[in-house]
Amino acid sequence: MFVEYTWLIPLVPMLCFVIVGFFGKKMPEGGGHVAIFGALFAFAVSVLVAYEFFTSAAYSAPGYVTAQIAWFSIGDFGINVGYYIDSLSCLMMLFASFISTLIFVYSIGYMHGEGVKKRRYYAEVSLFLTGMLGLAVSSNFLEMFVFWEVMGLCSYLLIGFWSFTHPSGDDAADNAASAAKKAFLVTRLGDVCLMGGLFILLYAFGSLDYLTVFDTAAMAAVDPNMVLLASLLIFGGVIGKSAQFPLLDWLPDAMAGPTTVSALIHAATMVKAGVYLVARCFPLFTQNPELMLFVGIIGGITAFFAATMALNNMNIKKVLAYSTLSQLGYMFLALGAGGYMMALGIQSGDTHLIAAGAVGYTAGCLHMANHAFFKALLFLGSGSVIHSAGTEDMREMGGLHKKMKITSVTMLIGSLSIAGFPLFSGFWSKELVLETAMHAGSYGVEGYLFTAMWVLAVVTAFMTAFYMFRMWFMTFKGKPGHGTEHCHGESPKSMTVPLIILSVFAAAVGCMILFGFDEYITTGINAAGQFQVGSGHGHGMTGWLEDIFMSAYTYLTVALVLIAIGIAYLMYSRKSVDPGKINRNGNSLIYRALSNRWWFPQLYNQIGWKLGYGVAKGVEFVDRQVIDGTVNALSSAVVGSGESLSKTQTGNVRDYAAVVMAGIVALFILTVVLFYLMGGA
Amino acid sequence: MIFDSSVVTAIFGQFAPLAPMIVLIIGALILPAVFFSTKRREAVTAVSMAVIAVSLLFNILMMVDGYQGEYAGLFSYDAFAGIMILLFQVVIFLAALVSVSSSETTRMHYGAYNSLLLAASVGMMFVATASDLITIFLGVELASIMSYVLVAMKRSDPRAAEAAVKYVIIGGLSTALTLYGLSMLYGVAGTTNIADIAASLSTQEFSWAFGIAMITMIAGYGFKVAAVPFHMWAPDVYEGAATPVSMFLGTGSKKVGFVALFKVFLVIFVAANATASFATEEIQYVFAVIAAITMTVGNVVAISQNNIKRMLAYSSIAQAGYILIVMAVMTEYALASGMFHMFTHVFMKGGAFLVVGALITVGIGEKISDYRGLAKRAPLIALAMAVFLFALAGIPPLAGFTSKVFLFSSAIYDNGVMTQWIWLAFIAILNSAISLYYYMRVVKAMFIDRGETSERIKIPRTFAAAVAICFVFVCVLGVFPQLIMDFCADAASVLFG
Repeated sequence: MFVEYTWLIPLVPMLCFVIVGFFGKKMPEGGGHVAIFGALFAFAVSVLVAYEFFTSAAYSAPGYVTAQIAWFSIGDFGINVGYYIDSLSCLMMLFASFISTLIFVYSIGYMHGEGVKKRRYYAEVSLFLTGMLGLAVSSNFLEMFVFWEVMGLCSYLLIGFWSFTHPSGDDAADNAASAAKKAFLVTRLGDVCLMGGLFILLYAFGSLDYLTVFDTAAMAAVDPNMVLLASLLIFGGVIGKSAQFPLLDWLPDAMAGPTTVSALIHAATMVKAGVYLVARCFPLFTQNPELMLFVGIIGGITAFFAATMALNNMNIKKVLAYSTLSQLGYMFLALGAGGYMMALGIQSGDTHLIAAGAVGYTAGCLHMANHAFFKALLFLGSGSVIHSAGTEDMREMGGLHKKMKITSVTMLIGSLSIAGFPLFSGFWSKELVLETAMHAGSYGVEGYLFTAMWVLAVVTAFMTAFYMFRMWFMTFKGKPGHGTEHCHGESPKSMTVPLIILSVFAAAVGCMILFGFDEYITTGINAAGQFQVGSGHGHGMTGWLEDIFMSAYTYLTVALVLIAIGIAYLMYSRKSVDPGKINRNGNSLIYRALSNRWWFPQLYNQIGWKLGYGVAKGVEFVDRQVIDGTVNALSSAVVGSGESLSKTQTGNVRDYAAVVMAGIVALFILTVVLFYLMGGA
Repeated sequence: MIFDSSVVTAIFGQFAPLAPMIVLIIGALILPAVFFSTKRREAVTAVSMAVIAVSLLFNILMMVDGYQGEYAGLFSYDAFAGIMILLFQVVIFLAALVSVSSSETTRMHYGAYNSLLLAASVGMMFVATASDLITIFLGVELASIMSYVLVAMKRSDPRAAEAAVKYVIIGGLSTALTLYGLSMLYGVAGTTNIADIAASLSTQEFSWAFGIAMITMIAGYGFKVAAVPFHMWAPDVYEGAATPVSMFLGTGSKKVGFVALFKVFLVIFVAANATASFATEEIQYVFAVIAAITMTVGNVVAISQNNIKRMLAYSSIAQAGYILIVMAVMTEYALASGMFHMFTHVFMKGGAFLVVGALITVGIGEKISDYRGLAKRAPLIALAMAVFLFALAGIPPLAGFTSKVFLFSSAIYDNGVMTQWIWLAFIAILNSAISLYYYMRVVKAMFIDRGETSERIKIPRTFAAAVAICFVFVCVLGVFPQLIMDFCADAASVLFG
C-alpha cells in the first residue's frame, strides 16, 4: 500500500527543485525550508516503503518488488520506466534521504550569509538528491543512467558554486571553476564506458530491465564474453563516478565547493552511486571471478594510495577527501573479494564458498552505510570549524576544543568510527572487509593477490587511524593558531543539532545493522536459482561476534590502530616527536611525492591537455595545411586544365575544390580496395 | 470530421500531394510586393508566418490522416515525405521568425530575402516528395541556388561575400558531380524513376559504371551534408552568413542531402539487395568509413575553435557523421533513429544558432570569450544555451541523449543479432565524449567565468519565442520521444517498403 507510491521518493525533491528554482528568491532562506521538506518527505516515504517491504510476506519471499510502465519503444525493444525495490535499494534510499535531510538543515546555518545565491544552492541540492534517490529506485539500466548523469551535472554546478565569488578570494574562485570542470569531464570519461556497457547489455539481453538482465536463465543463454565485456565497461563507469584508481584525481579538487556539498557528494550521494551499482550488478559481475579480482585490486590500490596522500596534507577538507577515496577503496575491496569467492563458488557449485562470498557483500554494503554517517559527520564538523575559524589550513587551527566543545566531541566520535576503534560503527565493517580479503586469499589460482591486497588494507587501516587523529589533534588540541583567535565560539544550533544526531548514528549504526538486520544486506542464490538480495543467511549477533573476535587478525588491526593514534598524539598533541625531523622539513622525496599526489595531476595534464589539445591542433593543422598543401601539388595534376582559371580565384577555394577531387579519388580507391578485399564484383 | 485531408484534396485537386509547397510558392511570389507596398519588415514577416502556418496546417492534416498520393509520376506524398516536410517547415518557421529582429539580415531587400527563404524550403520539400531522379536534382538545386544568394545577402560583412563565392564554386562543383552520377545511373538502369531503377538493378550485377555513379553521387550529396572530405566550405559559410541563415543551412539544408541520400541509396540498395547477385556490403563500408572520419574530424577540430559559429559548424559536421551511421547500417530501425536524430538536431543546433544570433543582435561578439559572465547578464538565455549544448553532447534526459541512444544502438543491435557496425557505434560514443569538452568551454564561459560587466541584456521578442520553442522541444523530445518517433518509424517502413 505504500510501495505503490515509491515514485514519490524522487519526484517530490524534483518538484522542490522546480519550486525553489522559480520562486526561491522570494522565500526566506532562499527556499531552504522547501528543500528540507522535500528531503524529509522522501525520507518518510522511504521509511514507509521499506517498512512495508520488510514486513509483507508477498514482497520478502521473492526478495524484490517491481512495477514498470512503458516509456518508449522502438522496433522490437521497449524501454520501461518504473521502480525496483529490494533491500539494497531500501538501504540506499533510507540513508541518502536521511543524511540529506540533516545536511540541508545544517545548510540553513552554514549558507546563511550567501544572500541571493542560496536559491541556486537549494535548487541544485534538491536536484542532486533526486538523482540519487532516482538511481536507488530505478528499475532498469537506462533509467539508472539518466539519474546517474543528472547527478554528474549537479555535482558540476555545485562544485563550481563559488566560482564567481569565493569567500577566500579570486584564486580560489578560479580553482572552483577548474575543479568543477575536471569533476564533470573525468566522470564523463567513466560514463562513456558505462554507456558502452549498457549498449552491450541491450544487445546481449535485448532488454535493460534489471529483472531480465539478472535472470539466471537469461544469463546462461548469453555469450559469456558479452557479459564480461559489459561488466568491465560498467565497472569503468564506476571507476569514474566513485573516483577509483586511476581516475581518482577529481575528488580532492572537488573540495572547492561549499563544505555541505562535499558532505553530500562524499557521504550520501554521487560516489556511493558507484558502490551501489557494483552491488546491484553482483549477479552480472559474479559470472567472472577475474572481473571481481579486478574490482578488488582496484579497490585495494585506491585504498592504499589515497591514504598515503592524506598523511601530510594540511587542508582539513582534503584530508577528509582522501579518506573518502580510501574508504571507497575498502568497499570495492570487500565487494571484489566477496564476489570473487562467490563466482568461484558458482563455478564449482560450492555453497560454502558462496556463503563466504556473501560476507563480502555484507561488508561492502555495511561499510557504505557506515561511511555515509561518519563521513557526513566529519565533513559537517569540519564545515563548522571552517565556518568559525575562517580557514581550511590546519596549521592555523589548534586548541579549538575549548571554544567548540560540541564540534570537537562529535568529530572525535567520527574519527574513532572511521579509524575502526573497537565497538564503533567503522570497526565492525572494516574488520569484515579485512576478513573477507584474507579469506579470499586462500581460494583460486590468483587468490594470493587478495592476500597482497589484505596487507595493503591493513597498512591502510594503520594510516587511516594516524591521519584522522593527526587531523583531530591539529585542529582541536595543541597551541591555538591564527584561525583559533579569529574563532567566535560554537556554531549555531541548526549546525550542531545535525552533528549530534549524526554522531549517535556514526557510533552505533554499524552494530545496529550488523546485529539486527544482517540477513537483509546479504546476497545469495535462492531456491529458484535466482540471485536475490537478502537470500543469504544472517550470522546473527553471536555469529558475527565469534567471526570477528575469534580471529587473531582482528587483534593485529586493533593494535595497529591504537599505535597509530598514539603516534599521532605524540606528534601533534604532546609534540614530543617532531614530524619535521622525519620528513626533513618537507624535503624528503616521499613527502614531496605525497604532497604532489604521486604526481598524478601532472600525469593527467600531460595526457589530457598536451595530448588531447595537441591532437586537436594537429588535426586542424593537417586538415587546413598539410592536406591543402599536398593537394595543391596534386591539384595541378588532377585539375590541371583549371590551372589558369584558378589563378583568378582565391587560393583557398581552389584548395577546397581540390580536396573534393582528392576525396573522390580516395573514395574510388577505397571502393576498389573494399571490393578486392571482400571479394565482391 | 471536417478537418482531414479531404479538405486538401478538395482545394488542390490533383495537385494535393504538392499542397504544402504550393502554398509556400504563392507566399514567395507575394512577399516582395508586400515589402514594396508597406516598406515594413514586420508586415513581411507576418505574411510569411501566416503562409508557413497554412502550409504547416495542410501538412499536418495530411500526415495525421495518413494521406498518400502522387503527381505525374514525379512526386509522391507518403509518410516519409510528410515527416520530412514537417522538419523543413519547422526550420523555415524558426528562421523566418527571427529574421525580422536580427541585426544581420538585409534591410533593403527584406521582401526578397523572405521569398528566397520560402523558395529554398520549397526546394527541400520537393526532394522529400520526389519519386524521380530529375525531381530530386531539381529540388536540391532550387534549395542550393537560393542558399547562395541568402549567404551573400549580408552585405555589411566582407566575410559573407567571400563565403558566398566559396559556396557557389564548391556547390557548382558538387552539382556537376551529382549530375554526372545521375546520368551514369540513368545509363545503367535506363530509367530515372527510383522504383524502376531499383527493379532494374535487381536484375543485373554490379558494374563499374554503377560504381562511378555511386562515388560521384556520394561526393555531390556529401557536399550538402558536409561530410568529410567535402566539408571545408561549411565553417566559412556558417561563419560568414547571417546567423538565421547559418541556422537554416546547418539544420535544414544539411538534411536535404540526407533525404536525397536516403531516397537514392536506401531505396535502391534495399530493393536491389534482395537478389544475391547485387551485394551492397562494400558500399555500406564506404559509408561507414566516411561516417567515422566525418564525426572524428568534426569533433576534434571543433576543440580548437574560438569563434562560436565555427565551433557549431564543426559540431554540425560531427552530427552529420552520426547520421551517416544510418547509411552504413541500412536497417529500418536505423533509418527511423536517424530521422529522429535529424529532428532533435533541428531543435538543439537550431536553438544554439538562434541564441548566437540573438546575442549578435544585442551587440555581443561571436568569440567564445565574449560569452563570459553571460549567466549574470541574461540568465534564461544562458540556461537555454547550456541546455542546447548539453543536449548536443548527449546528456540525459535531453533530446540529444535519447536520439543518440536510438541511433547508436541501431548500429549495435538488429533484431537480436549483433551487427558488424559495433565498432562504428563505439567510435560514435567516444566522439560524443570528446564533444563534451568544447561544449563545456562555452558553458564555462557563460556560467563560471566573470564578465566585464553584469549589465542586463534584453533579447528581442521573436528570438526569445524561437529559443523557447526549441527549448521546450529539446526537453520534451528527450522524455517523450514517441511524439515524433512513431512518425519516423512509419516513414522508415514506407521507404523500406
